[in-house]
Amino acid sequence: MRYEIEVITPRILAEALNILAKNEPGTRIVAGGSDVIVQLRDGVLRAKKLLNILPLKELRFIRSDRDTVHIGSLATYSDIVHSPITQDHAWPLVEAAKQIGAVQLQNTATLGGNLGNASPAGDSIPSLYALDATVSTRSRDGTRKIPIEQFFQSYRKIDLKPDELIEEVYFKGLGNRDRGCYVKLGLRDANAISIVDVAVVLRDEREDKSFKEARVALGAVAPTIRRSRRCEETLESIPLTPDLLKKAANLVADDVSPIDDIRGSAEYRKEVVVSITYEALYRAVYAEEEHRG
Amino acid sequence: MRFVRVPGEWLRVTRLSSRKAYQTLLVGVVAVRVEQTISFKLNGQPVSVSCPPAYTLLEVLRDQLHVTGPKEDCAKGECGACTVIMNGVPVCSCLVLISQADGSEVVTSEGLVKDGKLNPVQEAFLEEGAVQCGHCIPGMIVSATALLMRNSNPSTDEIRTALSGNLCRCTGYTKIIAAVQRAANNWSHQKP
Repeated sequence: MRYEIEVITPRILAEALNILAKNEPGTRIVAGGSDVIVQLRDGVLRAKKLLNILPLKELRFIRSDRDTVHIGSLATYSDIVHSPITQDHAWPLVEAAKQIGAVQLQNTATLGGNLGNASPAGDSIPSLYALDATVSTRSRDGTRKIPIEQFFQSYRKIDLKPDELIEEVYFKGLGNRDRGCYVKLGLRDANAISIVDVAVVLRDEREDKSFKEARVALGAVAPTIRRSRRCEETLESIPLTPDLLKKAANLVADDVSPIDDIRGSAEYRKEVVVSITYEALYRAVYAEEEHRG
Repeated sequence: MRFVRVPGEWLRVTRLSSRKAYQTLLVGVVAVRVEQTISFKLNGQPVSVSCPPAYTLLEVLRDQLHVTGPKEDCAKGECGACTVIMNGVPVCSCLVLISQADGSEVVTSEGLVKDGKLNPVQEAFLEEGAVQCGHCIPGMIVSATALLMRNSNPSTDEIRTALSGNLCRCTGYTKIIAAVQRAANNWSHQKP
């Protein structure tokens, strides 16, 4: 019963870490609450104690340090949408943030919460894969830095110890010679969980329209977010043409293992992920000037 | 925080019997209700309420403070009927723990009325007849007011985006959007 649940609200990060260090079973972290509250009500999640970290100002920031972008785990989607740093250096993530929920959810839901909830349809995650982000976790004993692909271990399982919380996410920001795009397919524009979503980042453009590095991340088509290495390799170090993008997009179908659910069938996802990947690649290469201002 | 024994409350235990039928056993009065005193500003007035801290802001607004403008429909953040302005931005009050509202400023559709005078959005909804059953309207009005607070001259697209988290199942959205456009014309940087 929810009336039996205690809520502890620490005022500073150190206090929160001390509480986590006690390792009490049944303690759950709650940030924005948009997943945790629904799960508590549905009985999916049981907790004796909630650690409400939302007021910890130390974890709510977006800043850049040389060419690295740091986003605190309590930055909300609205923060990400409105920050000039993410607008200029992480636009695929901004695109994702704009399409998560609607305004009300964007004002409360946090980036760290999306990572902690670890849904295969977590919309911020493909962009973070494509940006090659690192997750920094914090406990009383110190910090750990985990590449995002290792942070997500399997379906809804993350590399976060009971005494840790997610402190920040950081990655090398996108610059003038980089391209990127995020495309989501949902049943409607707002408040829709993804059927398929795709983020692509191409870095280090050369004069012949070839890129040194490509990252293609696919959401909602496997137990965790998936990268398609074969698609990426096809795109690297070769002048890009629409035909080549089509060829590369076709390769993602073999890297996904979707399921049937209320939003779409596995068969449909396998088909549509190719089109969505092509759209993301095409917009990144040919039509994304709008994002870069 | 204090702990209150709930009289007459039975703890239910569900377990699987050998015949694979679920059995519910009632095992005595053991439930303990946790209560915390939460203080915040509601529609400009300071309020203080003692309630279980894991209840939602919406539950406390409606059931304890009897402020019934915000409604509960989906309880998942999809419909927007529970929208309130919290610390200047619209949020779903069904997705805020009451303990997270401690020290905050909350405005509901009731709080938009000043000295018995409706705010421009409320006026415009009446003038446009943008209402049928009325259930979604408090949420719509709060979302639209929050939009006009930060952008008093929104485009149709901006209005649609700002209201995309508010569902209406009867009028269709045409009159609602027209009402927000009308309100924007009458908006004089007035605060809710």
